[in-house]
Amino acid sequence: MRPPPPNTLVNKIVALTLCLLVFSGTLGLGAVWVRQEIFSTANRSNVLETKLADVERRLDEVDAGVAIALNPASLLRRNETMRLGLEAPKQIQVVRMQGSPETRLALKRNQEIFSLSTTARKSGPTAGNARLVTASFP
Amino acid sequence: MSKGFASNFRMTLIAVAVLACFLGVGIRLIFLHVIDRDDLLKFVNKARRQIVVEQARRGAILDTKGALLATSRSFVVVGVDPEMMNPEDIKSWPEMARLLKLPRAELSGVLQNSMKVGRQALANSLTPALENKRVRWVKLAEEVDEDVYDQITKLKVRGVYGARNFKRIYPGDTLAAHVIGYVNKEGVAVTGAEHHLDIYLKGEDGWIESEKDGARRELAQFRSREVPVQDGNDVVLTIDSVVQYMIENELKLIADKYRPKFATIIVSEPHTGRILGLANYPNYNLNAFEKAPLDAQRNNAVTDIIEPGSTFKIVAAGAALDLGIVTPASIFDCGQTSILYKNRQLKLPKEDEPFENLSVADIVAHSSNRGAAQLAMLMGEENFYSYARKYGFGQSTKFQLGGEVRGILEQPKNWDGLTITRMPMGHSIAATPLQVHMAMSAVANGGTLLRPQILKEIRDAKGNIVRTFAPEKREQVLKPSTAAVLAQLLHRVFTEGTAKGFEIPGFELAGKTGTTQKIIDGKYVSNRHVSSFVGFFPASRPEVVISVIVDDAKMSKGIAYGRAVAVPAFKHIAEQLIQYLDITPLMIPTSGALASNGGAR
Repeated sequence: MRPPPPNTLVNKIVALTLCLLVFSGTLGLGAVWVRQEIFSTANRSNVLETKLADVERRLDEVDAGVAIALNPASLLRRNETMRLGLEAPKQIQVVRMQGSPETRLALKRNQEIFSLSTTARKSGPTAGNARLVTASFP
Repeated sequence: MSKGFASNFRMTLIAVAVLACFLGVGIRLIFLHVIDRDDLLKFVNKARRQIVVEQARRGAILDTKGALLATSRSFVVVGVDPEMMNPEDIKSWPEMARLLKLPRAELSGVLQNSMKVGRQALANSLTPALENKRVRWVKLAEEVDEDVYDQITKLKVRGVYGARNFKRIYPGDTLAAHVIGYVNKEGVAVTGAEHHLDIYLKGEDGWIESEKDGARRELAQFRSREVPVQDGNDVVLTIDSVVQYMIENELKLIADKYRPKFATIIVSEPHTGRILGLANYPNYNLNAFEKAPLDAQRNNAVTDIIEPGSTFKIVAAGAALDLGIVTPASIFDCGQTSILYKNRQLKLPKEDEPFENLSVADIVAHSSNRGAAQLAMLMGEENFYSYARKYGFGQSTKFQLGGEVRGILEQPKNWDGLTITRMPMGHSIAATPLQVHMAMSAVANGGTLLRPQILKEIRDAKGNIVRTFAPEKREQVLKPSTAAVLAQLLHRVFTEGTAKGFEIPGFELAGKTGTTQKIIDGKYVSNRHVSSFVGFFPASRPEVVISVIVDDAKMSKGIAYGRAVAVPAFKHIAEQLIQYLDITPLMIPTSGALASNGGAR
């Protein structure tokens, strides 16, 4: 058998070297790419964290604003400035009744529409105590 | 072989030069990596590495329905780095002055000075000795809102930037000031819930170790260590803002009318010990605490002691009934001025009005001093003292916000001869308003004394409940049957006793008036009083306990009796609470309700 010509071995070495170069180059580029991805992901998450903190801060600010607006003293002041005339009910304005007021009102309405018998009214569901407050008090 | 074109000398010279270069590089590397290593590392660390501390957000304080009583809000402290200032930004200064609400001239002055300082500092920075004297931060404005800061950053003025800080704000201003307390400008929780619950509220700061670029932006990929911030827990109190507002409003009316030294109103649930409202006059604004005098910052309900006066008669009456030595119908001669006790003739205290024979029920209803003294004498000093202790007098109520005093209740061995006749009417003893309130709560709670509860629960930053606070029993003062009888006797105070005329039909108000002469320079004086009323309702199934205590009310004429000063306030608060807490009457009035007539009279 004839030995391979000497340039075949050289060619192989050159090819292998080239492969190695391409491989290491790919590895290097891959490492750079991964590093870049880490960098951009870290920065993106940092931006998101900052945004989240910002939103939370603003939420706190809004909460504080709402709390100030809902303070009993503020509400009463607003009641005066807007001339709403809202007042807490007084005992004399309150009639306490058995059963659910919604059911009673529904029965009343239905009675007017369909002329339901009083039997139907009596069989209506009864819940706990409820109270009815008149709208105005001179 | 042909001879080269260069001489040996030249070749040697080049070789030496190249070697010298390499040697130079080598020496420089040795200097950089070995000799100057520490200094250079320090410089690099200073220039690139940074530790950013993330401030923990302090937890909020909420009322029982979740309304914010105290919260933290971020503000920006805006400043300028003199070394980074750019003369081209001068055109933006007027707009910045407007946003910062600073006079234009003032801001320009500060910025120009800063720029000068910056240039000087940059020149000085070349001198190592002056390196540490460089000024990198000049404050322009504090407490700038986030929105305003956003507008400032949009101006892109080089060197102007802000540092975020949390500031405590109290949306209710004066609402529940003595309960909430405040955090001072240094961030130290000074009083109230802020101070005593600081361990729950403060949280833990976090920090990040990383590197920064030339523009001081963090290079997030170089984060080496990170300790996450832990925000503080939210504290939910048992206080109800609306009830609190009602009683503070009532205190304002009392203050306007009577100009007292101090006044306290407490509202609580008898079966849980939960305090729905606790207010004192004088009050102060939590958002301007630095302007409040120290006296106004006292939580008088727990820090001040008073002689409880006739409200203390529940001790003698309750004890005598509980021991079974009397019944409500037992009769005592309340007309006599002295009585033989342990072989000594003791002078009995004066009455506000002359009485003759009174039953135990009448003694309570009409607040007879002599009757109460005889009840105490009947049971003896030891028994009386023991019941007074059981009611919680002379000891801490274990109020969760601290700061309370124990009051004064001497042991019988230290009593003088007259103490057994004076203590049952609430003299020779001192108690805090809260102690008196809790004693009455025990009667309303079937004879069980509870710890006053101001804390409802603790929630973490995500809103999950991490701890709840259940009612805590301290003592079984009276048998439940005795407490029920005593409650009915206290109801008679409204139907035929010292609070007659103030009843609310259908709601069985019960309670005890108290009027105590004040001790000035060691003597009781007849023109200065502590007026009080402590009561609950409905007597048959108590839902709320209210105490009104007014120290040194100034009356235009007459004596500041508990009936005149405290009972009207009690009634007014009760009327509001009936509606707000939807307390149902025991008997539903069939007539007189406007609503039953469609609102017509």
